Amino acid sequence: MRIVVGQGSCGIAAGAAKVYSAIEAVVGSSAELTITGCIGMCFLEPIVDIYDGENLVKRLVKVQPSDAQKIIDFVNGNSDAVNDIEISADDKDFLLKQTRIALRHCGVINPEKIDEYVADDGYKALEKVLTTMTPEDVIEEIKVSGLAGRGGAGFPTWFKWNAARQSQGDYKYLICNADEGDPGAFMDRAVIESDPHNLIEGMLIGAYAIGAKEAVVYVRAEYPLAIERLTNAIAEAEEKGYLGENILGTSFSCKMRIKAGAGAFVCGEETALIESLQGERGMPRLKPPFPAQSGYWYKPSNINNVETFANVSWIILNGGEAFSAMGTENSKGTKVFALTGKIKKGGLVEIPMGKTLRDVIFDIGGGIKNDAEFKAVQMGGPSGGCIPSQLLDTVIDYKALGATGAIMGSGGMVVMDETTCMVGMAQFFLDFTAKESCGKCVHCRIGTKRMLEILNRIVKGEGKDGDIELLEELCYSIKDGALCGLGQTAPNPVLTTIKYFRNEYEAHINEKKCPAKACSDLLSYTIVADKCKGCTLCSKKCPVDAISGTPKNPHVIDTEKCIKCGACYNVCKFNAIIME
Amino acid sequence: MDMIKVTINGKEITAEKGKTILQIAEANGIEIPTLCYIAEVKAYGACGLCTVEVEGMPKLLRACSAVASDGMVINTDTPRIRQSRKIALELLMSDHTGDCKGPCSLNCPAGTDCQGYVKLIAEGKFKEAVALVKDRVPLPASIGRVCPHPCETACRRKLVEEPISIAFLKSFAADEDLKSGDKFMPEIAESTGKTVGIIGGGPAGLTAAYFLTVKGHKVTIYDAMPKMGGMLRYGIPQYRLPKEVLDMEIASIAELGVEMKNNIKIGTDITFDEIKSAHDATLVAIGAWKSSSMRIPGEDLNGVYGGIDFLRSVALKNPVKLGKKVAVIGGGNTAMDACRSAVRLGAEEVYVIYRRTRAEMPAEKVEIDEAEEEGVIYKFLNNPVEIIGKDGKVKAVKLQVMELGEPDEGGRRSPVPVEGKFETIELDNVIMAIGQKINISGFESLELTNRGNIAADTKTFRTSLDGVFAVGDATNRGASIAIEAIGEAQKASNVIDSYVNGEMVGYKKPFVSERVVTAEDLADRQKIIRAKMPHRSPEERRKDFDEVNLGFSVETAMNEAKRCLECGCHDYHDCKLICYANDYDVKPERFAGDKHNCKKESKLVYIERDQNKCVLCNLCVRVCDEEVGKSLIGLVGRGFTTVIKPEFADTSVTEFCKTCQKCVNACPTGALKTL
Amino acid sequence: MSCCKCEKSDLSLIKDVLDKYADVDGSLITILQHTQDIYGYLPTDVLYHIAERVGVSPAKVMGVATFYSQFRLEPVGKYLIMLCQGTACHVNGSERIEKAIKEELGISDGETTADGLFTLKNVACLGCCSLSPVMMINDETYGSLTPDKTKEILRDLKAKED
Repeated sequence: MRIVVGQGSCGIAAGAAKVYSAIEAVVGSSAELTITGCIGMCFLEPIVDIYDGENLVKRLVKVQPSDAQKIIDFVNGNSDAVNDIEISADDKDFLLKQTRIALRHCGVINPEKIDEYVADDGYKALEKVLTTMTPEDVIEEIKVSGLAGRGGAGFPTWFKWNAARQSQGDYKYLICNADEGDPGAFMDRAVIESDPHNLIEGMLIGAYAIGAKEAVVYVRAEYPLAIERLTNAIAEAEEKGYLGENILGTSFSCKMRIKAGAGAFVCGEETALIESLQGERGMPRLKPPFPAQSGYWYKPSNINNVETFANVSWIILNGGEAFSAMGTENSKGTKVFALTGKIKKGGLVEIPMGKTLRDVIFDIGGGIKNDAEFKAVQMGGPSGGCIPSQLLDTVIDYKALGATGAIMGSGGMVVMDETTCMVGMAQFFLDFTAKESCGKCVHCRIGTKRMLEILNRIVKGEGKDGDIELLEELCYSIKDGALCGLGQTAPNPVLTTIKYFRNEYEAHINEKKCPAKACSDLLSYTIVADKCKGCTLCSKKCPVDAISGTPKNPHVIDTEKCIKCGACYNVCKFNAIIME
Repeated sequence: MDMIKVTINGKEITAEKGKTILQIAEANGIEIPTLCYIAEVKAYGACGLCTVEVEGMPKLLRACSAVASDGMVINTDTPRIRQSRKIALELLMSDHTGDCKGPCSLNCPAGTDCQGYVKLIAEGKFKEAVALVKDRVPLPASIGRVCPHPCETACRRKLVEEPISIAFLKSFAADEDLKSGDKFMPEIAESTGKTVGIIGGGPAGLTAAYFLTVKGHKVTIYDAMPKMGGMLRYGIPQYRLPKEVLDMEIASIAELGVEMKNNIKIGTDITFDEIKSAHDATLVAIGAWKSSSMRIPGEDLNGVYGGIDFLRSVALKNPVKLGKKVAVIGGGNTAMDACRSAVRLGAEEVYVIYRRTRAEMPAEKVEIDEAEEEGVIYKFLNNPVEIIGKDGKVKAVKLQVMELGEPDEGGRRSPVPVEGKFETIELDNVIMAIGQKINISGFESLELTNRGNIAADTKTFRTSLDGVFAVGDATNRGASIAIEAIGEAQKASNVIDSYVNGEMVGYKKPFVSERVVTAEDLADRQKIIRAKMPHRSPEERRKDFDEVNLGFSVETAMNEAKRCLECGCHDYHDCKLICYANDYDVKPERFAGDKHNCKKESKLVYIERDQNKCVLCNLCVRVCDEEVGKSLIGLVGRGFTTVIKPEFADTSVTEFCKTCQKCVNACPTGALKTL
Repeated sequence: MSCCKCEKSDLSLIKDVLDKYADVDGSLITILQHTQDIYGYLPTDVLYHIAERVGVSPAKVMGVATFYSQFRLEPVGKYLIMLCQGTACHVNGSERIEKAIKEELGISDGETTADGLFTLKNVACLGCCSLSPVMMINDETYGSLTPDKTKEILRDLKAKED
């Protein structure tokens, strides 16, 4: 038997490392103890799988270190030992309803062992490419597959590869953009942490296709575990001859290295990423020239996102047509989403294009936490938008999502319920983009700042008549005038929330009310005398002594003193305090 | 060389292959605005002003970097582009703190470049100073003497101790110029063949004549009085403005070729219609020459005079006969001129009766004080209710005693009668200096305002009649100070120029950046006492009409001029930002928010950097890096709070600076200044 | 921070890093990352030294050091609290966690406690969205935080130091 502890960052944060140590302390020789990457069921972490040979016999969830002995008992034959921590049938569906291509090894193999990857058809695609295909064949296969950039823009991958292939130059670079900066997205991290060789293989195939001799992975500095595992994987691949000079005995040579980002969202933009790779401030370059002509060190360069590369080896092995058989007219294959927010079952979801948002959120994700009302889903992070409930049946497809005002994005899907203020949401994203703006172009540098200031005042109840129109005017101008994708898309969260939730903006401005009751400056707390039992709990909890009253008699809140912290509201056992 | 064909704004252009849209446009005289591009360094794309639309492309392109391709159809000035540029400029201005112009200049109704000429005076360049003044005011020697100088009221030096003596510096420079034997004379444009008739030879009429002549038009001034000068001659006493000075300045204007016709009264000697039809345009600048009445009993008694009527009689050297006791009613400058003239004519007791207190007097403080020194007796909080006569002659005036009531909205306390409290003083004469009115006779065809003044558009100065313009005391809100009339006349001359040339363009107040400065901000300035104007003693001066002030010495004037804080931006005239801001009619206040708030620094030996004016075009950094190869300055931080700094906080940087000034020259605004 | 080169950091600590990277083009960020690992922050005199060795102007080094949020020009506390500001954390109440930290330690974003023990830094998404709200203290991640839980964690760390 083999005990496998899920050790992605999320799992570790949930306590997987402690679980591993606890099992290690008691396992002795009763079973093999190993790890795997992210299984993708974050809501059940820490997760421990028990295998018998290749068969998964038990999946244990929300495992605590104190469960270690039970697990050993099970391995040693007590078949009922872990029944209380076994995954439910309902939760099993979470994975069963998915179609995993990019994530196919995630949570299955040990990411720190190349042998496990190789055993699961790893590097077969590379071998096939190097021994039986020309670079043009590879590009053609990718073209047939319909694979498009998974980083957000959805640009056809073959087109970029072809442009870089056609570009004149003695030395070309292949770059992987692993600067996954969208708050609320962690697909790329999961792939690198859980299946680093799949990324390496995909990149090598890309490098072969465009004729690159050097490949660089630009990883976010906030992903130390991903960097560690990828570093290890590169060393393993070099050792096994998958990387370096004369790969697999062919004339193809390619080296690979990692460059850690240093914390700048704008470096997700291709040309800013290149500047950063060159050790400069990550400020976007003017385009044209595009990186395919003049990129890293001003040589022809091709940049793709992690998930894009993660699909490549599967396409080569299974054929482009198998990939394009999935999805819709203009969006092929699968897409990975990081499902988070007010969702029951948060985690990584990979599904074929063409499914609806409802499928993902309600069928797979199990609906809204605490069975609250669904309000909107945020897709595409700071470049995307909020899609309201009436559009839940929108299919997942670049065009259909684009039509809502949001974007497919890299895969962040943050679910919101009725307690989320949509103006606050717009403010949150603008705060993010304003902080992350590199400061180069005027529209973005000052424009996002001014948008944020307007949103700040609206949220504070200081919004003015005409502010919505002013925001819209700024939005359209920034989209038109900003230099790079960050600025050009920064208005999207504002535009979509104005489009679908204009009434919330108006309520903040005209009535000085927050319909979601989320903006603290617009709330007032009062005690309903009939319901108050005079238990004094609220007055004791109040940090500013704003509540007065004698025991057993109704209390009163001094609204002048009240700082709207909500402490009384949270502590009242009789629902005697109303917040509005 | 490969050539391509492109179309810009509908015009087909052949251009060298590989050139950017900006380069092609520039070579073909099509201006595309940009703040961050200069040919010497690589395109950067920060300012977003050079965007253009290319047919078939959904996105706007930055002309500085987009290489044109054959067959491209480019538009550089569409509503979409204008909007994008306008927003960019508004955003830039919303984070731009500085004074384009000094408060002195902004507060001058004629927009005189006070800071500019004060600086020239400080440098001893008096003729240049006069040339600069005459760009707005063609009568500097006269105006410097009489102007209540709103410039000084606004002068920030008062936050340190006292304002710069701007007005007297102006007359000083003009006097120096006049006596130099090589006085400044403007260049006159080639004759346009157009003629302009100006009715009224006062400050407004003379000013318009000056500027219209300079623009090449043939100007004739018609004036009812024996000599030109209007109220400067007939309303302001000799002791304040010697007529010899005025004569010289008028002579300078006449020398330009202005035809000056005196003793011509409209409606009597010539009709308004005749003048109108004799010229391509007509300017009415007739002033307000009728004294206002107090509407109290006894005004028609012998010995009661209007203030300006009295002053005119003095100026005409035919003064009215005064008795021993004279009262002047009113608290303005005319009242001061009248009472001081009365003293000089030998009246023994001269009263000034004013219904408020000294603090509320609209007259200039120096006038009030000097009048008192000369023996004038003030009777404050008194309001005449009746002039009592005997045998048809003034005998006394009955005064209602007043007290100050609650302040009104403007903070001014209105006088209210103390019930039943009166006072009577015995008098021989009463001079009513409570205001002036227009005499409209001869101009009945012009539409009037409800105050009875000529209605003139505030931007074009056009009256109800085509081709007829009006400025000065006779228009709209009525009488004001001379510099106000001069300012209008100067603006009107531009409008008239455009009118006679076929397309009338109204005056548009330029947009400028201004900032708020407090005494605290200037706390580090050394206090330097304002130069006192030397003057004759009261005992001496009350006996005659000779000029009271003796004028500054060269040394005094230059030292006084050196006190200037130089509030206005040194780069105003070359600043691309403010130029574009005006081109695109920006309203940055709608985006008001946080601003960079940095201290000026002068880390690089010869260069002062003011981050608050920086637009982060990064040209200085790029020039220092790419062109000079030093890279002594760089961007620090990111996003909105990005600043440009010399490396770290190190003072030794200065050693490496070549002081080549290339960064200063590249800066599109006034953020960098050579020290 | 003092004004110039008068700080005296032990420059020998980064000798190996510079030997390895100083002559490799485009390595400035990598060098700064190692430097920060060694010193805990980027001391000005070290930055000067790096500029000299790498052969770029100090102004450029400063430009890079201030562009990326990872770099610090000031020393931080013994415990660096990185509070995630990702979307999921925001939706799930990271604001309340920030308030709890402020209540417990009296510090806001970017500040360090007087005893030099804790520094609070708001950071971009840590990628543990399913456990939101999340914070990282040094290398340890704490998920599913509530204000009370947060205070407890901080108190435990404080207790450890006493």
